Amino acid sequence: MPGSTSGKMQQIAVAVVLATLFGLPFLLAQLGSKGEFWIWVTTEMIIMALFAVSLNLIMGFGGMVSFGHAAFFGTGAYVVALLMKKAGFGFVPALIIAPVAAAIVAAIIGWFCVRLTGLYFSILTLAFGQLLYLVVFQAYSFTGGDDGIHGIPKPEILTPVNYYLLCLVIFLLCFVLMRMLINSCFGLTIRAIRENPERARFLGVNDRRYQLLNFIIAGSFAGLAGGLFTELNRFAQTEFLHWSKSAEPILSSLVGGMFSLVGPAIGSTVLIFLKITIQQIHKNLVEVWAIILGVILLVVVLFAPEGLVGLYQKLRQRNVKS
Amino acid sequence: MTIEFFFFLLINGVAQGMLLFVIASGLSLVFGVLRVINFAHGSLYMIGAFLSCSLASLLAGASFLHFLLLLALVPPVVALLGFCVEITLFRRIYRREHLMQLLLTYALVLIFDDVVRLVWGGDIRSVVRPDLLAGSVEIMGLFLPSYNVFILIVGPIIALALWLLLYRTRAGNLIRAAVSFPQMLSALGVNVSALMTATFMLGCWLAGFGGVLMSGLATIDLGIGMEKIIECFAVVVIGGLGSVGGALLGAVIIGVGSSFIQVPLSRLAIVFPFIVMALVLIIRPWGLFGKPER
Amino acid sequence: MAHTILKVEDLHKSFGGNKVLSGVNFTVEEGELSSIIGPNGAGKTTLFNLITGLHVPTRGAIFFQGKNIAGNQPHEVVRLGIAKAFQITSIFPRLSVMDNVLAALVSHQKRNSNLLTPISRLKDVHDQAYRLLESVGLADKAFQQSGTLAHGNQKRLDIALALALEPKLLMLDEPTAGMSPEERRETVKLVQRLWEQLKITMLFIEHDMDIVFGISQKVRVLCYGVLIAEGPPAEISKDKKVIEVYLGEEL
Repeated sequence: MPGSTSGKMQQIAVAVVLATLFGLPFLLAQLGSKGEFWIWVTTEMIIMALFAVSLNLIMGFGGMVSFGHAAFFGTGAYVVALLMKKAGFGFVPALIIAPVAAAIVAAIIGWFCVRLTGLYFSILTLAFGQLLYLVVFQAYSFTGGDDGIHGIPKPEILTPVNYYLLCLVIFLLCFVLMRMLINSCFGLTIRAIRENPERARFLGVNDRRYQLLNFIIAGSFAGLAGGLFTELNRFAQTEFLHWSKSAEPILSSLVGGMFSLVGPAIGSTVLIFLKITIQQIHKNLVEVWAIILGVILLVVVLFAPEGLVGLYQKLRQRNVKS
Repeated sequence: MTIEFFFFLLINGVAQGMLLFVIASGLSLVFGVLRVINFAHGSLYMIGAFLSCSLASLLAGASFLHFLLLLALVPPVVALLGFCVEITLFRRIYRREHLMQLLLTYALVLIFDDVVRLVWGGDIRSVVRPDLLAGSVEIMGLFLPSYNVFILIVGPIIALALWLLLYRTRAGNLIRAAVSFPQMLSALGVNVSALMTATFMLGCWLAGFGGVLMSGLATIDLGIGMEKIIECFAVVVIGGLGSVGGALLGAVIIGVGSSFIQVPLSRLAIVFPFIVMALVLIIRPWGLFGKPER
Repeated sequence: MAHTILKVEDLHKSFGGNKVLSGVNFTVEEGELSSIIGPNGAGKTTLFNLITGLHVPTRGAIFFQGKNIAGNQPHEVVRLGIAKAFQITSIFPRLSVMDNVLAALVSHQKRNSNLLTPISRLKDVHDQAYRLLESVGLADKAFQQSGTLAHGNQKRLDIALALALEPKLLMLDEPTAGMSPEERRETVKLVQRLWEQLKITMLFIEHDMDIVFGISQKVRVLCYGVLIAEGPPAEISKDKKVIEVYLGEEL
């Protein structure tokens, strides 16, 4: 029940956050080469936030854990890489095609996966994700296999600051779209299916069809993120398709909070920040990043499964009561 | 294709299947009793394989006795690791929803696989085969790799041992009861948590044993854990979770199929388990041994 | 002049080697409030499940408004106008009460594929949801998380979800199961009120004889998969076969 003060507070908070996000690159640009590094990092944070939020459409709102989301991220990445490097496409057309290609891949993989539920669904997403990884790995002549595709052209207009702004705008647009999706009839249907698929069926809902649609939508947003990521780094690698890449959005959603849209974005940012910090402390600690991720996941699962957003909400409720 | 070649592929396929069965049966049992699907099962198998390589170079001998020593020593170590994992971590999540259990074992995969990378490095390990099993042996006019014949002997022994355990011992009866009637057990005064720990250790032992066998069959690298867990999933999609008999059938199908598909499409041999999974899911989404929802 | 809305013809169902229903025949008139009773294991829930599409009959037909629906999928049966309230309440626990009903209404009005319009803008659906919640007495709890409702209220929500589908036939599987006597009375009053107001055909399974004989127009008795008696409550309570079946139980 929104009181007018808390509603206004929220609006002010959002405005402040947006102002900070838009002003940040200009601030960082003043810091010379260190600044450029941080602009690069923050751009990556935005892109990975998009990736994480896209998974949450399936996971937090759809109730289905996908261990193969990197398949769509990687598809988007490779499509942009291949189109730009090998077929001479411009950035904009390539970026438009990336989510479409990812949607097609998601449709194929999703068709098989939604035929199952729960455990079996998750297993299958892992399997198909790994399958795509292996296929791309083996198709050396086409995708460069283990080496990947390097030297992707970047139009001059996309300076670090401009690219940051582009990614931010795209992220915000996608975020708004996903928000509308969650609050729509479709979103409610998906959440109902998550809560009780049998009852949803008894309400006349063909649960499989809607879950597949949700899967495809999530996959396209992931593909968009992949395309942006590849242009940021100017290369595409098989790592983008590896099962461990799929772990990142899962972790982000759990750390940040699975049941909100902003939670995964926060979680993803926190994790990247953590990684950078660790890198600064001791270069070699990055070697054990997977272990650190695993331990964080363990801790969150055991002690704080509702994530940061969930904890925040709990604290707020406690304050309201007292 | 000559008939000799056909049998060659068939027998090698069955041998591969037997090896897969040893590992997948562990996964299936653990699910049947603990109701947790242990993603980290593949990692434990990988740890078994790498331990086997290290221990082999430590023992510095290629006799059959050395190999038997590996088979005897490595699986219990993996089982012990499983014991630690079960009492510290698994026990906390039995009452949680499946999603959380899945994520917990997934976290273990992240940790284990990276630990293996740290401890053993990224190099490929060479095969640990004892001299006795290095060559080929002639059986009924066919020249078969001796190691595969070895697996063909050991695999069924394990299968038989499992069958005897499950159907002829009290512990085994309890395990089967746990699979079919979990609610009954505590009512019967059985120490359910001890049973679960024991079953999990058995599952890990099987994973470790499979790892040792694999170290003698092919070169070992950091990807074998994930590779194997996916194959195991294909096995349980076919055979159903919790069914050791189903695991046997599923494993043999996968093994033989992968063997034969190498002939026309060698590069696609690796995707055979996926093809099978996809086909089973189109035709019989509830698995070959499961029952349809309606 | 009432006509038949549901006709069950020679219905058989076996699960494996276990024969649960052996040739059940009956008709339900439009607008009727009737019940099915029988001892445990008689096959009542299976009968319900066959009608609502959860299982496929081994043999026989189920005619709903003249069309054979035997073997249809649950969501198809729903679209044809049969709704079920569950024995074990089946709701969407983490959604609010309001969202539960909205989900049902959205589905009934085939608006599930609406991808972008926020539900909060759909005033007509919200109004309908409120009216529905009022009719089952849950309007004041609209924003509570449905999983936290008391058992009796969850049952009301369950019924509301079924009603949201504007069914022509509402099936209630043991609507008072697990309730205190007080809750039972409330639920019976609710069912009766809904029947009088909405004038839809209702068919329910019950164990509580007071309820059955209190409000049913017609009672059907199922025993070991066979219909052994059918008629108004007064007749059934005197039927010799029925008394035998309920040996010792007070009718």
